[in-house]
Amino acid sequence: MNLTLPLFFWSEYRKRRKKAALITFALFWGTLSILLLLAFGQGMSTQFRVSFSGLGETLIMVYGGQTSLEFQGLPKGRLISLYPEDVSYLQARIPEILRTAPESYGGYQVSANGKEVNRTVHGTTAEFALMRTQVAQLGGRFLNADDVVQGRKVAFIGWSVAKDLFGSDNPVGKQIVINRVPFTVIGVLKKKLQDSMYNGPDADQIYLPFYAYRQIDNRRRINQIHIQPREAGQSKLIEARVRTLLGRKYRFDDADRYALSFWNTIEDSKEGLAIFKGIEIFLGIIGALTLLIGAVGVTNLMYAIAKERTKEIGIKLAIGARRRVIVQQLFLETMFIFAKGTFWGFIVAFNLVHLIRLIPVNYESFGIEAYLLRPVFSLRIFIAYMIILGGLVFLSGIFPALRASRTNPIESLRYE
Amino acid sequence: MIELREIKKIYRTGSQALEALRGISLKIDKGEFISIMGPSGSGKSTLMNIIGCLDTPTDGEYVLDSDRVAGLSFDQLAAVRNRKIGFVFQNFNLLPYATAWENIELPMLFDGKSSKKRKKRVIELLNAVGLYDWRDHRPSELSGGQQQRVALARALANDPPILLADEPTGNLDSRSGEEIIAILTELWKAGRTIVMVTHNDHIASYSQRVIRLFDGMVLP
Repeated sequence: MNLTLPLFFWSEYRKRRKKAALITFALFWGTLSILLLLAFGQGMSTQFRVSFSGLGETLIMVYGGQTSLEFQGLPKGRLISLYPEDVSYLQARIPEILRTAPESYGGYQVSANGKEVNRTVHGTTAEFALMRTQVAQLGGRFLNADDVVQGRKVAFIGWSVAKDLFGSDNPVGKQIVINRVPFTVIGVLKKKLQDSMYNGPDADQIYLPFYAYRQIDNRRRINQIHIQPREAGQSKLIEARVRTLLGRKYRFDDADRYALSFWNTIEDSKEGLAIFKGIEIFLGIIGALTLLIGAVGVTNLMYAIAKERTKEIGIKLAIGARRRVIVQQLFLETMFIFAKGTFWGFIVAFNLVHLIRLIPVNYESFGIEAYLLRPVFSLRIFIAYMIILGGLVFLSGIFPALRASRTNPIESLRYE
Repeated sequence: MIELREIKKIYRTGSQALEALRGISLKIDKGEFISIMGPSGSGKSTLMNIIGCLDTPTDGEYVLDSDRVAGLSFDQLAAVRNRKIGFVFQNFNLLPYATAWENIELPMLFDGKSSKKRKKRVIELLNAVGLYDWRDHRPSELSGGQQQRVALARALANDPPILLADEPTGNLDSRSGEEIIAILTELWKAGRTIVMVTHNDHIASYSQRVIRLFDGMVLP
């Protein structure tokens, strides 16, 4: 391979690299800005999603209510309560249901380590963890099926409860006393973002196996039933079936809107998804406009460089340079400057994103930092950016190069 | 070697047409040293650019070494400029960011000569024009006379049989001018064909023949 010309191009580029510094910097800055903008945008969108799913994903919660319609000679205004057996009753009759969990709760004095706090205590089953994003911190676990069936006196606690009762000590294996009944802590909830909740954030809650909870709260009725559909699209169908089945069981009109109430996070998430989509489209438009402005700037600079080199091109043509030599040189220089600028933009953006992600987020405050400090660097976006900007730079480099190579050497030599 | 038949050159700007050359015919034999003289605007440089294949005539025929120039492509013309013709300009036209060495090396690079051959030839030429010690200097660090000697060395890089010099002493003091003309005379004596445009009768007196132009035509 004859390297004479590439080496010549390289030596010429090195002589003029100070002149190319501005355009290299423009490409660096453009790449950095766009990648950071999109990384923060995507991070924000992701954090919104995470926060939204903090309560649980594809979840329907069913609560008892009060009838508002007369039914089969029964008066309106009757209270409808839910009972533990309703959970298996619904699960057995509605094939679209993937999993279910009962939940009872109440406020109790909780003491440990010489400290006492007032917290909401819940009784539920192992399935609850899968439906309500209950992930244990390292070294602990959530309630399992045996805990529930055997009524083990164990507790899974929120990280705020752990901090209030045990400070920085590891609570796993230690005892807490609820309503004078001792429970062993088996796990602490991993920190998470949560923007939807009942009885406060999960960080402040204590979860006991369903039958162990009965030892501190002997009410037979339960507060709510959690249902997770096999497919999110079936949530409305499941709601209707629950109304029909429980209406038949507890004798209320299945058209009665107040006999039962539902919190359907699937329907809520549709609104949320529309917002996320809106944010993404908005950032995409900003990104595209920034890219356009950057491309116009780069094109302009490329044109200025080619123009400035008119005389030099004229000299080269006059002493025998072929057209392709002129085109190759300008084109390779453009592409090298592009690669250099975008490479450094990529390196700085990539490292900044990962450095920012190291900053700890305060999950208790639900502040803006929880959304801003988790930018997501997307290789997909970077590749798309490289293709679009690379194309624009290619065009902005090739046209002045072609134009310069076609110029009459005499006209170029006269250019000052 | 060089034959021009009824060469015309018309520059058009909008509806205006300027006839720079009005049917010039001339013949330059191999090994001749001729001067082209004439007042400003008489078409000297236009004629020189056409002979040097830097420009093409609007009409007429130019035969160089029995090849019709009109039939050559852009790149074939570039090859002619690279190998057959050496061009020396009044304002030197050196690359400002390149050293004397690099400027002289350039035509050989475009001709694809090996690094070894280029190096040998550049040293030879630098010594011939007395600038070996100035080889790493850029044009801005050289005097006018030195720059023109670099330009002359560059014109000779591929050892072309024809040397075209467009007012080579026009931007030089008389001593530097004499040095340049002395080199041109030596080159002619060594067998090269030299065509020189000049305003200066004294400089023209070194040539064998003077062609006088007026208003785009050769005076009889």
